[in-house]
Amino acid sequence: MIEIGKAGSAVPAVLVTANMTGTTPLATEAALSLASRIAADASLTSTRTWYIVPLGNPDAYARYFTKPLYTDPGNATSFNDDADDQTDEDGYNDLNGDGFITQMRVKAPDGIWVPVEGEPRLMRRADAAKGEKGVYKLFSEGIDDDGDGQYNEDTPGGTNVNINFPHLFKSFGKRSGLYPGSAPESEALLKFAFAHPEIAMVMSFGSTNFLLAPPQGGRKGSVDTDNIRIPREIGTAMGFDVTRTYTMAEIMEMVQPMLPPGMTADESMIASFLGLGAVVNPLPEDLAFYNEISTDFKEYLKNKGVTEERFDPAQPEDGSFELWAYYHLGLPVFTMDIWGLPKPKEEKKEGSGITIEALEKMSADEFLALEEEKVGAFLKERGAPAQYSATMVIGMIKGGQMKPAQMAAMMKQMPPPKKDEKKGDPKETAIVAFSDKQMEGKGFVPWTVYKHPTLGEVEIGGIVPFAENTPPVTMIDSLLDLNLPYLFELVKRLPKLAISQVKVTEKGGGVYQLEAWVTNESYLSFPTAMGKRNKVPAPAIMTLESEGIEILSGKKRTPVNEMGGMKSARYIWLIRTPAKRTIKIKLESKQAGNDSEQIIIGG
Amino acid sequence: MTAALTALAIMLIQAQEVKVPLRFDFYYSYEKVVEALKALNAAYPELTKLDQVGKSEEGRIIWALTINNPQTGEPFSKPGVYVDGNIHGNEIQAGEVCLYLANRLLTNYGKLKEITDVVDRNAYYIIPVVNVDGRAHFFADANTPSTNRGLRIPFDDDRDGLLDEDGPDDIDGDGHITTMRIRDTLGKLRTDPADNRLMIAVKPGEKGEWTRLGQEGIDNDGDGLVNEDSEGFVDGNRNWGFNWQPPYVQRGAGNYPFEGTGIKAIAEYMLARPNIIMVFAFHNNGGMYLRGPSFKAAGELPQGDITVYDFLGKNIEKIVPGYEYLISWKDLYSTYGDFTDFTNNLVGSYSLVGELFQVETETYDGTPMRKQEERSRFAEASDAERQRLLFNDNVLQGELFVKWKSYKHPLYGEVETGGWTKMSSRLPHPFMLQDLVHRNASAVIFTAQYTPKVLLDVFEVKKIEGDLWSVRVRLVNEGAMPSVTHATMKNKLYTPDILSVTGRGVKVVSGGVLTDAWMGMVDYKEYKPEVHLCQVPGFGKIEYQFLVSGKGSIDIRFESRKAGTITQTVPLKAKP
Repeated sequence: MIEIGKAGSAVPAVLVTANMTGTTPLATEAALSLASRIAADASLTSTRTWYIVPLGNPDAYARYFTKPLYTDPGNATSFNDDADDQTDEDGYNDLNGDGFITQMRVKAPDGIWVPVEGEPRLMRRADAAKGEKGVYKLFSEGIDDDGDGQYNEDTPGGTNVNINFPHLFKSFGKRSGLYPGSAPESEALLKFAFAHPEIAMVMSFGSTNFLLAPPQGGRKGSVDTDNIRIPREIGTAMGFDVTRTYTMAEIMEMVQPMLPPGMTADESMIASFLGLGAVVNPLPEDLAFYNEISTDFKEYLKNKGVTEERFDPAQPEDGSFELWAYYHLGLPVFTMDIWGLPKPKEEKKEGSGITIEALEKMSADEFLALEEEKVGAFLKERGAPAQYSATMVIGMIKGGQMKPAQMAAMMKQMPPPKKDEKKGDPKETAIVAFSDKQMEGKGFVPWTVYKHPTLGEVEIGGIVPFAENTPPVTMIDSLLDLNLPYLFELVKRLPKLAISQVKVTEKGGGVYQLEAWVTNESYLSFPTAMGKRNKVPAPAIMTLESEGIEILSGKKRTPVNEMGGMKSARYIWLIRTPAKRTIKIKLESKQAGNDSEQIIIGG
Repeated sequence: MTAALTALAIMLIQAQEVKVPLRFDFYYSYEKVVEALKALNAAYPELTKLDQVGKSEEGRIIWALTINNPQTGEPFSKPGVYVDGNIHGNEIQAGEVCLYLANRLLTNYGKLKEITDVVDRNAYYIIPVVNVDGRAHFFADANTPSTNRGLRIPFDDDRDGLLDEDGPDDIDGDGHITTMRIRDTLGKLRTDPADNRLMIAVKPGEKGEWTRLGQEGIDNDGDGLVNEDSEGFVDGNRNWGFNWQPPYVQRGAGNYPFEGTGIKAIAEYMLARPNIIMVFAFHNNGGMYLRGPSFKAAGELPQGDITVYDFLGKNIEKIVPGYEYLISWKDLYSTYGDFTDFTNNLVGSYSLVGELFQVETETYDGTPMRKQEERSRFAEASDAERQRLLFNDNVLQGELFVKWKSYKHPLYGEVETGGWTKMSSRLPHPFMLQDLVHRNASAVIFTAQYTPKVLLDVFEVKKIEGDLWSVRVRLVNEGAMPSVTHATMKNKLYTPDILSVTGRGVKVVSGGVLTDAWMGMVDYKEYKPEVHLCQVPGFGKIEYQFLVSGKGSIDIRFESRKAGTITQTVPLKAKP
């Protein structure tokens, strides 16, 4: 880890990690470049500390520099993947000696693969429903080292650091490790993050990109906090109507009078009391800033002249570092993949030309202006069930039973349309296209015949490892110059708390009302909505320092638990003082900075 | 006066030298537990080994005593029985159960056949005190029966930026944290006419007498709240790495799994002992033996495992009268990051949590109090409590209840302090301790008689033709527990047991499970017929048939993490 900054843990910090899977070389380059940019610019370190971990999974990344080349996110611990009598005994074998682990295809009666029409280098699944029969079986390149009838089922390597974190950790998953934090790499980060409460933002370089594709909701298991059902036993004891649902705010209001004095009902308390379980979807307030920043980033790219369409970045994996940092630390987390495979230009768009996004924004009249043929084509593209004919849908919109936006929402719920099977996997097509155009074809190993000891005559070939996520070296500098500066814009949005106004009002008899306004001068809220829920970010503390005053109401140490972006709130004390005193009001937050004001009271 | 007596009692206890056989008419402080373990180790150097598992947050050592008879093999060649207690610092009698178990096994080895057999059969790993800091503070400090439960990891309960700065205080200096009450004619409580030490709720229209202020204490940090940020809180039994959930879901979980240094050390200790098949974790109270799962969404356990638990649980209910065998989430409440979820799923063991002591046994008139009454959370003075006071007065000469006395409180003014002491409510009085430790240690000893015990029987060697032989092997398990738990099989936690056939110059042509010995039906394995992964069911058997080609002899080897290794050399000649 590299620490850059002058003030260490005394100022808000940004934690940057990279290459947590060990399979994203570009991520480590990005982190190193970020570090050198920060070191060269004093304005970035005057009030900010940076903790940069350029290589989160060193064991797995070491494989990138050895031969044969293959992708595996496991660290160097050994693990018996197939739970047999030997460990790490059946790894890949570079049979053709070309330095790459690619694929083997072999003609077999139970084969399910056929070559793609027009691109015979690639394979696709045969469509039995259309009367096709598979020709090939596909294997990764290697032999059955342990003679158990399976190929490369127990490759060396243990835990994927990036799925070894505690949020949605998958027990007994492939490469997930025995328990969250069982890998020394992830354990070190868990400990570091909780030992550094000044970390106010997290950035991570890898295969996801929250700037282009904000973290997604829609996962089952998250409780809808607008419709909470109270368990019968607790509910009846506390006077709730257990047959209806309540909003979080209603419950807090009802619970407050039952609490001992001095205790305040908050979301976190209610959620844990009612056993609402872990949050598994980004909270709505947080999604709002993610979406706004994403729009801003896309605009930024457009202004930089980026026009090429690229494949969407990966969605974060369960148990990943980035999900944990958001859900468990309650911090704003931004990730970048720096580069995405360009989408090959499609030869003339056939079909409806309608997208769900466009449909969402359409008025009923605009929809009705579309021709029936186009609507029909659209429904077909989306794989709508046969009973939803164009005529029927148009009828419903015309009759007002459904709005285009509702229709769009319904279609979003449906399973995604089947890809055009005949074309094969679009990503593979794109890799091959990119390899041909930009890599002199080096991203693909042509199929060549090989005499395999157990499978007989096979062909070895296919996409070269890392061709999917690692562009040629010559492209790296310009990609980093394009992407990294935006991160410095994000840092400017970190919440910053200040005492914006202080006022004293005399109440008579030596009693004064002291009021102080606390303002969050920046865009992001303090803390995130998730941070409010999990209570991990420590509150800012406002302290009154003075001699010889008596606080009649209000506390000497007042927690400021939350402050929305660009919002202010007033804090009031009632103070008695017989003589003139100076009061120092101190506002201290590890994550959102310190401030103080002095005011004279009394006399 | 009481303080002086308590101090005297503590001095007397400390003056006692710990000797084997151990005594169980007093409670062992943390230091005395360590002395007791060292004394057992010194008295039985052949049978025991004393290990330092790790250190707590405050640097105290967590000790483990291994009991194993080397004459019957190294520990890993036998099933491991792990027993611990006192993960909650205040639940101290759990430690005495562990010490008693060790003492019982060792002092009766070679004297009682059943004890000798059960010692020879297994390796025992005993950690009497998991939360060593909690136990030390529970003895040394003023406490309620429930304080000092958690680990000594500071936590800012009141979110004022200060850690653990306002806990309860023994304001009257009597060595106990009891209750404070204040005279209040508008209060909701009045003195119980049946016993003036108790308070009952006022009925509508009645005049009140008291308001309960909570635990003894002052406003240490001057924020207008009393006792709002006490020690901790990370609960050692919510910090384990299986189905762990963060603190906003599971109170006391800690920031991440195994944040507790002692908890982590014990996890590593257990993972380094793969032979552990049975786990007991002792707590207080209520009189229960709980099995998993500990939360609903985990789903029910595999039926094969339920059968094992039911067999054990139903017998234990008889060994410890009044205790109930229950399912953790269903009969108690859901928890995440529990110790036994860790041991069931990641150690691959069976686990029971023993909730020691039933306050109902503190009877005066001989009738056990009704449980329902005792568990009612909102009840004020009840018949049960009145009876406990009679027990306290006439059987314990007033030892467990501090009578109300007046105290000048810096914040509230004139208040009264009084109530049950820390040694009450959840702990049996030492005179009842002997019975509790013996019966519960007997539950462990009973269970230890049913760990897997696998025998290998080559029951047929038959020449087919020339050098081709058919060999039939039977694995029989005399224990109730299978050689691999069903949950382990389902989770694919580790490689199951391995049965292999090798021989110089011998080829295993085929091999598989003999599904019907009479009909000769075999489920042959296509690849690697010389190696089979298997599980030997509890009170059951599994049979294999091998076709081998060659001369001389073959070596048959059964290798199990939990049930040891058996090898047998079989000559290739017809068995008579």
